[in-house]
Amino acid sequence: MAESAVVEQNDKERRYPPGDLAIWIFILAELSVFAVFFAAYAFTRLNHVELFNEYQQHLDRRSALINTLALITSSYFVVRAVAAIKADNAKGCIRWLLAAIGMGFVFLVVKSMEYAHHFSLGVNLSTNTFYMFYLSLTFFHFMHVMMGMIILAAVAFKAKQGAYSATEHTGVETGASYWHMVDLVWLILFPLVYVMR
Amino acid sequence: MKYKSQKVARLYFIAALVLFVAQILFGLIMGLQYVMGDFLFPYMPFNVARMVHTNALIVWLLMAFMGAAYYLVPEEAETELAMPWLATLMFWIFFLAAGATVAGYLLLSYSDLAKLTMNDMLPTMGREFLEQPTITKLGIVVVALAFLLNIGLTILKGRKTVINLVLLMGLTGLAVFFLFSFYNPTNVVLDKYYWWWVVHLWVEGVWELILGAILAFVLIKTTGVDREVIEKWLYIIIAMTLITGIIGTGHHYYWIGTPEYWQWWGSIFSAMEPIPFFMMTVFAFNMVNKRRRNHPNKAAMLWALGTAVMAFLGAGVWGFLHTLAPVNYYTHGSQITAAHGHMAFYGAYVMISLTIISYAMPMLMGRTAANSNRSQVREMWGFWLMTISIVFITLFLTGAGVLQAFLQRMGENPTPFMVVQDKIALFYWLREITGVVFLIGLIVYLSSFFVGRNEPEPEVAVAE
Amino acid sequence: MEKQQKFGLRPCTWVYLVLVGLTFVTFFIGQMGLSGLKVALAVLFIALLKGQLVGDFFMGLRRVKGLWRWPVFIWLFIPGTLITTAFYLAARAST
Repeated sequence: MAESAVVEQNDKERRYPPGDLAIWIFILAELSVFAVFFAAYAFTRLNHVELFNEYQQHLDRRSALINTLALITSSYFVVRAVAAIKADNAKGCIRWLLAAIGMGFVFLVVKSMEYAHHFSLGVNLSTNTFYMFYLSLTFFHFMHVMMGMIILAAVAFKAKQGAYSATEHTGVETGASYWHMVDLVWLILFPLVYVMR
Repeated sequence: MKYKSQKVARLYFIAALVLFVAQILFGLIMGLQYVMGDFLFPYMPFNVARMVHTNALIVWLLMAFMGAAYYLVPEEAETELAMPWLATLMFWIFFLAAGATVAGYLLLSYSDLAKLTMNDMLPTMGREFLEQPTITKLGIVVVALAFLLNIGLTILKGRKTVINLVLLMGLTGLAVFFLFSFYNPTNVVLDKYYWWWVVHLWVEGVWELILGAILAFVLIKTTGVDREVIEKWLYIIIAMTLITGIIGTGHHYYWIGTPEYWQWWGSIFSAMEPIPFFMMTVFAFNMVNKRRRNHPNKAAMLWALGTAVMAFLGAGVWGFLHTLAPVNYYTHGSQITAAHGHMAFYGAYVMISLTIISYAMPMLMGRTAANSNRSQVREMWGFWLMTISIVFITLFLTGAGVLQAFLQRMGENPTPFMVVQDKIALFYWLREITGVVFLIGLIVYLSSFFVGRNEPEPEVAVAE
Repeated sequence: MEKQQKFGLRPCTWVYLVLVGLTFVTFFIGQMGLSGLKVALAVLFIALLKGQLVGDFFMGLRRVKGLWRWPVFIWLFIPGTLITTAFYLAARAST
């Protein structure tokens, strides 16, 4: 009884975000790097509006749509994984996590195909300022998707070993928070680089 | 001290401090040459004094890192050092090679030294900070390999802690990136490009891992905070260090002929380099606030907190000052760089070395945990004198640098270099005077090793 | 948990569907080739809204009280403002 009261308390009102506070410090640091990158993109565009508007048309918006959906969906799966472990359903938690990792793979494959297309046309970091930003921003994010997948895999592995339960699942929440951050960044990146003109 | 073989660290620490003194003396000589150009002419040209000043610093820090590793790795791994004799042997090789190299710098002209050491066979000499004769560089590689083997085997046979693994990662990276000092392409752009792989990736990459590991070790020992908590912080600090530090190399690639995107990459990522240092500050103070015991070695605690603050100021804030490409366009290679260099090296690497020396030396000298009260008070005087001096040296050099950038590089009619040097001479004088105070601080610090040796350790209230 | 469900769906599922819907809106704005300051800022606003939903519901910040309630909001706010400023200046310069 007392335990469920604690869980209740945790769910209703907490002073700290879910997961280990250390990951949140890390998330904040990572988010600031992206924030600076976004602002740099926007202010550089200011001096090259036509260039940016022209080359934005060369990006594959359909791929970006698929990738956005992939990341949102996988983020949703991770939410379900956390809900599952809170209900003491470790098996369900693992299944949702694996599904989320699968969506991560979809992202990586689609993004790689985009890169392959651009590279085959000889596009590189020195082609022009727009491509410099496009490649840098998306690749830096790409690395984060990989990193997030590794973290989720590690969480799934530990869950398989029975490390988590309804009362102790900080690790799952920690991994989940990082993965949502990867999603969050893409939600801004997608419209900024692919759509806004 | 729990293991006999840890004792080898003492040799390394003492040698490090000897070279520290040499570094400061040569710093004072060249500081004076800034304002009295013919001081010690023709026996000691500025470039030689500078070479000794910087090389002595690098070598003594390496000595201190090695000493730190020999001290903390056995304790963390809970086993004796794999090959203590090898550690001793390598010490003498390293120390004699360093001495011979410095003697070569002082007694021979640089070109004669190059000829004598057969630089032609594998030319590596003549690059800033990597001036050592090729044979010395080869010696460093041998010492580093033997060192890594020794440390690696010790870790392998003992307990594997995060601190040990991070330290090993840092030390391995240190050795690997040093190999680029042998790569000497004729293309000047490539030459500089890879030169930074040694210089930058050392101080803004792998050395930070070493710093983090040593700091974490000392904090675990002095605060009694749970290892798990400290390890978690160590993880996020090194992750952030590597993300920002590696791509942050780009802040050296602005004006050397590399592609333009480096101006963006360098600016954005290196602007984030203060973050891990800030985390380190928060981390250190947090741990000390949460301490479960009061360690009798107050001086070591002071050094540890000092490192966390000064590394953030010197490496973080003063680095940020001139890291953005549009700012660096004006400040590149000015006295701002020198200001940053001084506070960053002192705040991060000198202080972490003195932290581990302060923590370990009492045990290495046969005491239980700490020096006598009198000795510690003396040591803390040394701490404050040196630290405050470096702050003022940094401020004076920053003043000089701002004025220099303004007069020499901005405006319609920029003033010529030498004219500007005359105008900022006052700052150089102030810096030199502060440098003397630093030397006094160093003497006070060293004298702390010799006072109160027979007095008991301070008593501390045992925490509940 | 049971009480919060509407039409048998969890709140997070509703949020997911909203996110998907907003993504398609953004995509079609792009496909239609719409441009101009107002359109760009509308797209940005949608993105910030999505970000806030992720922060509140997926990252669970809506249940947090105090300082930690706000990191995602602040993160969205600052670059959002900067991007708005930059696009505004760009639009003004071109007219």
